[in-house]
Amino acid sequence: MSSMPDRQHPLDIIDTIGRWPREVISYILDIIGLISIALRSTRHLRNKRRRRIFLSLFVRQLYNTGVRALFVNGIIAVIIGALLMSRLFEYIPRQVLADQYGYLFVVIIFRELGPLISGIILIARSATAVTSEIGFLRMRREFQVLNGLGINPVFLFLLPVFFAFPVSLFLMFLYFDFMCILSAYSVIWLSDPSISFVVFLGNILQQITLNEVAINAVKAILGGMVIGVISIHFGARATDSFDDVSDAISNSTTSQLMAFFLINVVLSLLAYTQ
Amino acid sequence: MPVAIRNLHIEYPGQLVFDSVDMDVADNEIVAVETQVLDGGTSLLRGIGGFLNDVGGEVNLNGVDLLTCIPAERAVRVGYVYEDHGLVSLYTVYENIVLPLLFHTELSDDEIHGRVSEVCTSLNLDEALFAHRPHQLNDVQTRLVNLARGLIINPELMLIDEPEGGMSEEYLHDTMVTLREKQQINPMAIIITTSDDFVLEKADRVFRIENHNLMPEQ
Repeated sequence: MSSMPDRQHPLDIIDTIGRWPREVISYILDIIGLISIALRSTRHLRNKRRRRIFLSLFVRQLYNTGVRALFVNGIIAVIIGALLMSRLFEYIPRQVLADQYGYLFVVIIFRELGPLISGIILIARSATAVTSEIGFLRMRREFQVLNGLGINPVFLFLLPVFFAFPVSLFLMFLYFDFMCILSAYSVIWLSDPSISFVVFLGNILQQITLNEVAINAVKAILGGMVIGVISIHFGARATDSFDDVSDAISNSTTSQLMAFFLINVVLSLLAYTQ
Repeated sequence: MPVAIRNLHIEYPGQLVFDSVDMDVADNEIVAVETQVLDGGTSLLRGIGGFLNDVGGEVNLNGVDLLTCIPAERAVRVGYVYEDHGLVSLYTVYENIVLPLLFHTELSDDEIHGRVSEVCTSLNLDEALFAHRPHQLNDVQTRLVNLARGLIINPELMLIDEPEGGMSEEYLHDTMVTLREKQQINPMAIIITTSDDFVLEKADRVFRIENHNLMPEQ
């Protein structure tokens, strides 16, 4: 027997239109709320014992996020540094390039590509791992266990990520830049071994002002914090179902990429627009 | 009485679990609550321990209301043994056992280690397991680690959720003997939910769950 299709109430349309902004606003408020919870839970660090617990988790997170990413970060940096230099060879005379490389390096790699690619590596390697870890902990009701022990899960899981991600990201920026310089110099050296590495490096360092370093640090702090908090936010939304964790990883990665690109673009525009 | 439970009311959305439970437990007593499948035994223990939200009534433990006190205060007074899992997978067995002491006390590392040795020896928990992660343990070992973590704080109230799962009668016997010995050294009220005849037999008093309440067994 066929049934009459439900007639949509006019208010349903308004509800549908209004749902998206409502969800976005509530998501942004959740993220801000998590950041404020993380900042508030730093009060536990005044206690020596708790500081020790935190430090061991922070070091573990730093190792997983920063140190273990060095290999992939280095490989990509070497490829990009070499590619950039070999492309530039085609357009700029060799000697001019050796002099101008510093400027080009800062504009292309130090300001934009380094932070962007390091952020993507952080999201792909570590943020997804944190989301799935938190999702499974939640599924196994381990947050409930911690609450029962009078331990705030935010202190054990959010706080180490909240601090380790920005530090790792900043170190990854620096490492990426260094590997780019090495690979770019290797390309130059292959074509003209007379150009000294010290001169080449000095040329680049002259272009890197304290302001450039500070802007990169702000990108790392803001980007790392937001990526970390988004990981926890989506991981903690998983309930009892296995697909909740895969959904959380997928949604979390999308949100992190969008947020990190936005932070990078906005900061670059604010800092470098004349 | 160290534990005085008055008008304990536990209700999930659309589901009444316990209406108005009244019970007193002395600090040298083991009270068993006989449970069946899904009759609310775990909810009762979690409600008494103050781990559930929106629970009505009062659970007075030596002058402290467990339903309203702060989690840190509850954590050094109440030991809880989960029916399954109950350990934090981030940590090793040793770290799981010492976690409440590390987080809530100022005891030195040596004092903490002394307590771990003492509790684990009494429970026959092999020190070789200390470096293991929770997923490497079997059900009985998991339960014993839960028990060790509960006992290490010298609790005033111990809540044990169905200790018998996977345990042989010998293990259960040893566990009950250990709990009695611990009560002699450190007075504590013990409430156990169980469906095991041996545990019921060893308890001082037995209640059964009936009509959303606790009824004493004759």
